Amino acid sequence: MKKDDTTMVETVEQPEQINSESPTGLKILWREIVRDKVALISLIFIVLITTIVFGVSLILDQDQIVKVDLLSIHQPPSDEFILGTDYGGRDVFGQLIIGTRNSLAIGFLVTLMTGVFGIIYGLTAGYFGGHVDNILMRILDFMMVLPFLMIVIVFVALVPKYSVWTFSLIMTAFLWMGIARLIRSKTLAEKELDYVQASKTLGSSNLKIMFTQVLPNLSSIIIVNMTLNLAANIGLESGLSFLGFGFPESTPSLGTLLSYATNPQTLQYRWWIWVPAALLILLLMLSVNNVGQALKRATDARQRRG
Amino acid sequence: MSILKVKDLKVHFPIKGGIFGRTVDYVKAVDGVSFSIEKGMTYGLVGESGSGKTTTGRAIIGLNKITSGNVLFEGKDITSYRRAKADYYKDVQMIFQDPYSSLNPRKRVLDIVAEPLRNFEKLSRQEEKKRVQELLELVGLSPESILKYPHQFSGGQRQRIGIARAIALKPKLIIADEPVSALDVSVQAQVLNFMQDIQKELDLTYLFISHDLGVIRHMCNRIGIMYKGRYVEEGTTEDIFNNPQHIYTKRLVAAIPDIDPNKRKEHAKFRQEVQREYEQSFNDYFDENGLAYDLQSISDTHLVALPKKG
Repeated sequence: MKKDDTTMVETVEQPEQINSESPTGLKILWREIVRDKVALISLIFIVLITTIVFGVSLILDQDQIVKVDLLSIHQPPSDEFILGTDYGGRDVFGQLIIGTRNSLAIGFLVTLMTGVFGIIYGLTAGYFGGHVDNILMRILDFMMVLPFLMIVIVFVALVPKYSVWTFSLIMTAFLWMGIARLIRSKTLAEKELDYVQASKTLGSSNLKIMFTQVLPNLSSIIIVNMTLNLAANIGLESGLSFLGFGFPESTPSLGTLLSYATNPQTLQYRWWIWVPAALLILLLMLSVNNVGQALKRATDARQRRG
Repeated sequence: MSILKVKDLKVHFPIKGGIFGRTVDYVKAVDGVSFSIEKGMTYGLVGESGSGKTTTGRAIIGLNKITSGNVLFEGKDITSYRRAKADYYKDVQMIFQDPYSSLNPRKRVLDIVAEPLRNFEKLSRQEEKKRVQELLELVGLSPESILKYPHQFSGGQRQRIGIARAIALKPKLIIADEPVSALDVSVQAQVLNFMQDIQKELDLTYLFISHDLGVIRHMCNRIGIMYKGRYVEEGTTEDIFNNPQHIYTKRLVAAIPDIDPNKRKEHAKFRQEVQREYEQSFNDYFDENGLAYDLQSISDTHLVALPKKG
């Protein structure tokens, strides 16, 4: 805390310094988002939805919402049910909020876990190179050729108790390869630079060099990649639930709401069940993708708008 | 007693080829180099690009794997047990050629210069900050610059940050790998003079690697000339510049530009003469593979690579 204060004072005191010439990576990323109005609106939308969804779901009672009420089946939106009810008489609005929370939570969790594992894996392979790299990358290649969807469906059938956590873990097990590859290739280039050699001669251990010297220089790439992954991962749960391999109906999810639209009656006459969920998925993924694209542009000086 | 002794150092890089990446051949980057450095002196290592001078320096500090031969530091053989003995780095440090890539762009000067201190000395934050400020002052930078990032400095200043980092642990030997070749000439002199000043102040020994003979002449007491991974001549600065014996050394020395315009023609003629001599007698000085012969001493201080017959 104290250190940050002094940094601030330092930069304020010396405005004539050339530091405006090359701001740090994070500043460039932020500037690009601010310049790109679509990305800025998308970012505000994501933050808004996330806070609303996580906030409102705190006061909602999930057991109450998923309780079947045969007396209020397929009711259109009204004062009691803002977005009506589904074929079990369950409140669609409540399901929508909790479903979005689940989708977002899974998206964030999977992104974070694949990120952490992929970064460690890629850094190790890239930094040590040689035989270590060879062995690690062959394991990774093996993971990549596995039929992802089929194995996930089998896992889903095998795991008896099914929660956001177990779902995220299963997903993570099959989705860390992309970022690991990216980090490995960047580390291979980065470790040849003199500052890594210098750190070695200064007596720093390999672990220390990997995480305190090389990793900070990859941060912008990591942020970009993880943002783009997030967009894909949010839709992941919805996709599987739609196919019927996601959460059971006792756990509300956007995919379940969407899958009700496979019933032609619902598709044609009861829009309130599936349209809000479809819109929300579309907007969320689009927004995260917009932000990710802006960040991606920021890493290439020729494409920058800011 | 010499502080550093290098005995028949060889660094060979394998060339992989074929379908299975077998080792087809070796690049003999350094092929049988021996020399020793006395305490407090500056030893110059000269040669053209690819002659193996940088590889020699990097092998001594342990950045390149040594194929065979020994490196003795203060009488201790550090060739094999270097990995375990991290405190070798406390006594031997390196200044890198490129002041741009040798400083981590994401680290503040404080973190860069304090890195060796954090690895070897347990200092409190305050003590560490004070030490870094002292070091920066020693290299002629303002102590306030500790919170700046490397990109906020010029090339010469960055090189001095690199030097501050290298002397932070008060090493005995510094390997300077072309420390000024990336700097422009006015800054070169500044950095070189400064290196000589701290040499006196801290009683340092330098292994100075360069291709710039002017710089070498200015800095070094003793010089080794390398060609294709082998020594062609070794001697004191006087021996090399006033009495070059090997044709390759003669040619190198003749290539130093003369700033006196009146002697320009004379100098050009001399250079052509040496070039002619080089072409004619190349086979006398190099073996059938174009490599230098083993060194033979022609005086107490002067060694030249000549064929056995003399």
